[in-house]
Amino acid sequence: MPSKSATNSALTELSSQLASAVDTASNSIVAIHARRRIPSSGIVWREGVIVSASHTVKRDDEIPVNLPNGDSTTATVAGRDPATDLIVLRIKGAKSHVALKAQDSDLRVGTLVLAVGRPGRNVAASFGIVSAIGEGWRTWQGARIDRVLRLDLAVYDGFSGGSLVDASGAVIGLNNSALARGAPMALPAAAVDLVVDELLERGHVRRPFIGVAVQPVALSPSIAKQLDLSRDEALLIVSVADGSPAAAAGIFVGDVLVEANGVPLSRPTDLLDALSSTRASEKLKLKVLRGGVARDVQVAPSDRGSD
Amino acid sequence: MNASTLGTARAVSSNLHGLSEMLKRTVVEVRNGEMGGGTGIIWGGAGLVVTNAHCVQRGADLQVGGDGKWRAADALAYHPHHDLALLASPTVSGPLLEIRDADSLRPGELVFAHGHPLGVNDALAMGVLHGVTRDERDGYVRWVIADVRLAPGNSGGPLVDAEGRLVGINSMVVNGLGVAVPAALVQRFVERALARRAA
Repeated sequence: MPSKSATNSALTELSSQLASAVDTASNSIVAIHARRRIPSSGIVWREGVIVSASHTVKRDDEIPVNLPNGDSTTATVAGRDPATDLIVLRIKGAKSHVALKAQDSDLRVGTLVLAVGRPGRNVAASFGIVSAIGEGWRTWQGARIDRVLRLDLAVYDGFSGGSLVDASGAVIGLNNSALARGAPMALPAAAVDLVVDELLERGHVRRPFIGVAVQPVALSPSIAKQLDLSRDEALLIVSVADGSPAAAAGIFVGDVLVEANGVPLSRPTDLLDALSSTRASEKLKLKVLRGGVARDVQVAPSDRGSD
Repeated sequence: MNASTLGTARAVSSNLHGLSEMLKRTVVEVRNGEMGGGTGIIWGGAGLVVTNAHCVQRGADLQVGGDGKWRAADALAYHPHHDLALLASPTVSGPLLEIRDADSLRPGELVFAHGHPLGVNDALAMGVLHGVTRDERDGYVRWVIADVRLAPGNSGGPLVDAEGRLVGINSMVVNGLGVAVPAALVQRFVERALARRAA
């Protein structure tokens, strides 16, 4: 019989590296007991801070958590973001390894990845590749995520909230099968970081809104030419909420939004994109068409996340 | 960097082929009468084959096949609780797989299932070890759980590690996960069955 260890050296090496990656990752994966049946997973994201999938945490206080070292503790909710389905929990006093994050720039389609979860006392893993990287993806709850990872691997019960790691065990993202109706997906670590920052700071994620409902309309070619527009579509304001930032700025039903921050608007999501890229203290600069005349209107978005 | 990565991928791919060729010589197809069957593992040179008890209907006409030939087989012992059966078919022989101790298994390490799923002969499936479940009373490993795609026909076939050592016998699929009887339990079953016959 041939010597197996010699003939299979690459395979054995790969296998051993994958197991070590899971070992590394498991040091920062906790089990969260906040729903019936199977517990969900969470990642120790920073010192004393755990991130998980919000839909798997059905309660808000005294949440039992199993730590990687076998200890049990309780966590409190620091905040939830329904739009990205993330929840941030705090644990006090318990020492745990903070997850090692991978460099976002290393992320490519075809990268070997492992999903690591703790659907009980022990850690469990599945293996596959990054099958696609979606740019500018919008969750069904309306959050815009710059990049989302579609995965060719199996996400088992209790894996949501666990980590997606590379072959070295560094965290690439957070697995969540609820983001897209059960399809295996992960939020990249950078996107998680942004949400964690906001949730720790103010308990919710700032979602700027101006209080208008819009629908696409076609502009006549003559108007488009007169205003020097590259597109002949814009957004018609069909309602303005009372007391909203848009009402305060003097926007009326029937106005047509042509541009936001210099970017042409042709679909409602374009307006959402412009809003989400507007910083806290900044105003949204709108070009509004009223009675055939274009005028510039500045609107100070308010924060809907605090409702 | 790219060249060395590609080199690794090629080496892994070539290792996989070698593993598949090695496993081909250690498995047979198990058929019982008109009923479906499964996969069996050749247990050394003495004409012994181990498979799942649920692949072997009691009283049915048993046959084991490989290389396009079918040979009659007899059931020597059953262990329904562990879903194991030991068959004898004197002219069957092949290399005996080395046993991998379940206590040394690490979640995330590569595992491979070999068998005849859905009538496809000698199919190799790759996955990673998910974990093991232990008996609550004695702490022994009761099942080996793997993230590997199994189908009907994989039953009774080997789950091996990257070095081709036997991790367990694929027995069922639960919540999409492959569930295998640990190799050490299989070995104990065979030893006891043979001891009983010798006595």
